[in-house]
Amino acid sequence: MPDNPLKRLFSTARDVMYGMASHDMSRYALRTRASMEHLFILITMGDLLGVPILPPYYSLRLLPYVVPQISTWKRRMLRERDITDALG
Amino acid sequence: MPASQLSTLVKQKPYLMWGGKGGLGKTTFSAATGYWLSEQGKKVLVFSVDPQASLSDIFKQDIFGKGPVKIKDNLWAQEIDADSHIKAYQQEIRQKILDLYGFSEVPEEVENYIQAASAEPAMEESAIFDAVVDIVVTGSYDYYIYDLVPLGHALYYLSMAKVYDEWINKITRLRQEMAEYEQVANVMKRQKASEEDQILHELQYIKGRINASSSILTDRQKTAFFFVVVPEEMIILDTQKAAELFARFEVPIAGYVVNRVVPTELAQQNVPEYLKHRITMQQRYLTEIGSTFGNQVLAQVPELERDVTGLPAIEQLARIMYG
Repeated sequence: MPDNPLKRLFSTARDVMYGMASHDMSRYALRTRASMEHLFILITMGDLLGVPILPPYYSLRLLPYVVPQISTWKRRMLRERDITDALG
Repeated sequence: MPASQLSTLVKQKPYLMWGGKGGLGKTTFSAATGYWLSEQGKKVLVFSVDPQASLSDIFKQDIFGKGPVKIKDNLWAQEIDADSHIKAYQQEIRQKILDLYGFSEVPEEVENYIQAASAEPAMEESAIFDAVVDIVVTGSYDYYIYDLVPLGHALYYLSMAKVYDEWINKITRLRQEMAEYEQVANVMKRQKASEEDQILHELQYIKGRINASSSILTDRQKTAFFFVVVPEEMIILDTQKAAELFARFEVPIAGYVVNRVVPTELAQQNVPEYLKHRITMQQRYLTEIGSTFGNQVLAQVPELERDVTGLPAIEQLARIMYG
């Protein structure tokens, strides 16, 4: 696609600005969201780790939606932690 | 205490619950009330959520898990089969997982969870109370007579509903916060808005169900809760305690009906000392019931010469209770 060089310049500048200013912020937002997702699964599906949190009749309803996250969530919850986690 | 007081109260509310300790006559009174209302030309459903339900026995007809079964004109009875309800529900969840991800079978880990979850004791209560919502919301009866589980279960469910409600509020908030973070990231990356959160929808649905089922028990406009008592010390004490707990959960208590009162006329006749003692004892406890529950005592039902099963006996009892 032949592009207007001025437009390209703008677009590049925008990407650079994004990289400098908001990339970290959006990464942070996504990470926070992922943590919350795991927290959410823990609250609703705690039984999977052997931590029953609430009667499961209704939490079963939520199960289908979290199936893809379950394996990463388990890995994260059951991972051993050490001092480097706190530093990172 | 005129019997008409009971009939006036019973007619006023569409959801009538009979509660009390086990074996005092909840099922019997539910059946008799249903019978009487149906004779008044009202469409009535008597239903039980007790896994050891005895509506089948009282109507002398196997109705367990068969949906509403017609007993006579205007009168239906239903016993909920919690087990098959849970099985169907599990199957629904499995199917949803298969459909959502195009799996040919449910992943083992997830299947194990489904199995384990269903083995929990609370599962049955929740399933039953959830089924009640369907019955009451979709039914087209004038009256729903609810032959309750023994008090403990009902209290347990009411308290569970409260916890559930708060729990759902919390996770709904968490879910909304998650959506906000995602939105922030999207705006910064200049991506389009993410798809709607299905889970949030489910949570709102669940909240609605829980509120519906607990409000059936606590709706002042529609519900009347009747306690069955018998003139015995322990029962009076237990009922008093239960009534306090129920009041705390805002269950509208309409009154008390005393069952198994041995007719005092018998004492005048030539009866054994044993029976005379029983009558004296009962009179003492009846006075106590009167002073404890006051004008909330709606009726006294005599000890009948035989147990109440089958329609003719139910009819006889209905006449005693409602005139």
